Amino acid sequence: MSDMATGVRRSPVGTVAGIFLVAAVAATIAPIIWMVVLSFQPLKNIIGTGLQLDFSLSNYRDLFAPGNPLLQQLGNSLVIVIGTVVLCLVFGSLAGYALSQLTIPRPVLFPLLALTAFIPLVPPMVVVPGLYALMNSLGIIGGSTGLIVLNTVFQLPFAALLMRVYFDALPGTLREAAHIDGATEFVVFRSVMLPLVTPGLAAVGTFTGIMAWNEFLFGLTMTSGGVTAPLTVGIASLVQPYEVAWGEMAAAGTLAAVPIILLTIVANRYIVSGLTSGAVKG
Amino acid sequence: MNALQEQTERATQMVSAPHRRRRARLPSLFGVLAIAPFALFMAVFGIYPVVQLIRMAFSDVGLVQGGFTFDFTGGRNLLRILDDENTLPVVTATLIFVVGAVALTVVLGTAMAVLLDRARFFQAFARRVLIWPTVVAPVVVSVIWLLILSPTIGVLNTVLTAVGLPAQGWLGQPVGAMASILLVDVWHWTPLVFLLVYTSIQSMDREVLEAASVDGAGEGQTIWRIILPMSLPSILAAAAVRLVLSVKSFDEMYLLTHGGPGNATNLISLHIRTIFFDQLELGYGAALGFSVILIYAAVGIAYAFVRILARRKESTHV
Repeated sequence: MSDMATGVRRSPVGTVAGIFLVAAVAATIAPIIWMVVLSFQPLKNIIGTGLQLDFSLSNYRDLFAPGNPLLQQLGNSLVIVIGTVVLCLVFGSLAGYALSQLTIPRPVLFPLLALTAFIPLVPPMVVVPGLYALMNSLGIIGGSTGLIVLNTVFQLPFAALLMRVYFDALPGTLREAAHIDGATEFVVFRSVMLPLVTPGLAAVGTFTGIMAWNEFLFGLTMTSGGVTAPLTVGIASLVQPYEVAWGEMAAAGTLAAVPIILLTIVANRYIVSGLTSGAVKG
Repeated sequence: MNALQEQTERATQMVSAPHRRRRARLPSLFGVLAIAPFALFMAVFGIYPVVQLIRMAFSDVGLVQGGFTFDFTGGRNLLRILDDENTLPVVTATLIFVVGAVALTVVLGTAMAVLLDRARFFQAFARRVLIWPTVVAPVVVSVIWLLILSPTIGVLNTVLTAVGLPAQGWLGQPVGAMASILLVDVWHWTPLVFLLVYTSIQSMDREVLEAASVDGAGEGQTIWRIILPMSLPSILAAAAVRLVLSVKSFDEMYLLTHGGPGNATNLISLHIRTIFFDQLELGYGAALGFSVILIYAAVGIAYAFVRILARRKESTHV
């Protein structure tokens, strides 16, 4: 009935597509669910042969036991996320606004745009030796400050370009009108233009936040591990070549993944807008 | 982000474009101040590390009390890349991984996008769930797949044995390890291709599809002759994004295979980390990084050159 109402002809493609989708969704979710399930299993169920499922919080208890650096690492990751998001929002929206609405001297503009295009392309690892030397001489190696700075460096081009797209969508007459009413440049930016790009700020905020939360390479190379490391590095340290802490690893992985997935459910459209524009610009 | 929103956006841009062209050309103080933090970040952390990298690449670098000492050696580090017996396996592994990962994710992601667009049920739910792997941390993706592929506790071997197939040492054999990291990469990044292509299909002019259906085109014809050609730009864009991302790959291999067995999955980023941080060959590690930047620069210059030539050709024709 509904097919006739919408005028779509019945064809097998639609049904086949539906079945394929069910399979794709199952293949997407099943591995994640398996990790969550294992995180609630006592070790004997994980390493034992045959499938036996119980419910136990022992892995989580071990993770948060005194002396385990995980709580501190969780805190480090939160600090890094907050710092990176704030810096990206402030500097990214200022830069995006300048690129979109203001005139920037050409000798500054062209090298800047070249760098902005270059930084997201190059594998971060190839510049790590140079960054390591720089961070070392700046004295911000080995802690969350340095990681906030590095995350910001690698997220800021995306943040600025995405904000520019949002500012481009505003009519230029708006700025002129505010000027005629006597507002200074900063007031125009802060009170007139910025409130109009809140969706852009939300997209930049969620996306840079997720990227900073997920970041591993700089955490690994620029800290010495333990209580100075972010959560991702803490999780990686549970994977030792000869003795893997399977249960704790699954539990820590769950702790890192579930908040992000919940955020994806709540802020789906901002993440989609970040992924599509960020990926194409990057 | 839906088609309507995009169209409104485009319309606003079209309306406002003439106004913007008329704006003052004088740089304002606020403009300079607004761009300054961004420019400073890019200059300090974009240019200076590369300068340091080059300096290290041409030196014998030592570590003395937390600081570096440089001893100029000319091009010795760069020449060593050509002699190193690890170079060929690393380049080969990187190429196999990049080509395989890009091809598989682009084909599967495009198929997913086309089919989701055609599906009769499950659309709204699938669209939301399918992007989960791209937002989960790469480290967590490795954890998820270690729990599946591990030779000791992995569920995949349990399943294989249960249906009567021989268990495989997924991560322990050269071919199995490469297949494993490709599988993980496909799971991780196919959703991104899906999302990019799906967004472009959704913003297509629906009247074209209706016209095709009125003219008697079947579903298969509509997909092959209309939807795929029309979304080709977004498929190519997705392929470019995947190319960049797959060359960057590090986290998953670092945890799943550590580059092994042997050099089987030793991608370039893993190799540089091992040289620099484990073997502490700082100058040689920097030289490897610098050589990658040189390759990028060469590709970039070639690309710009081709574009300029193409444009000149166009203008002479006109």
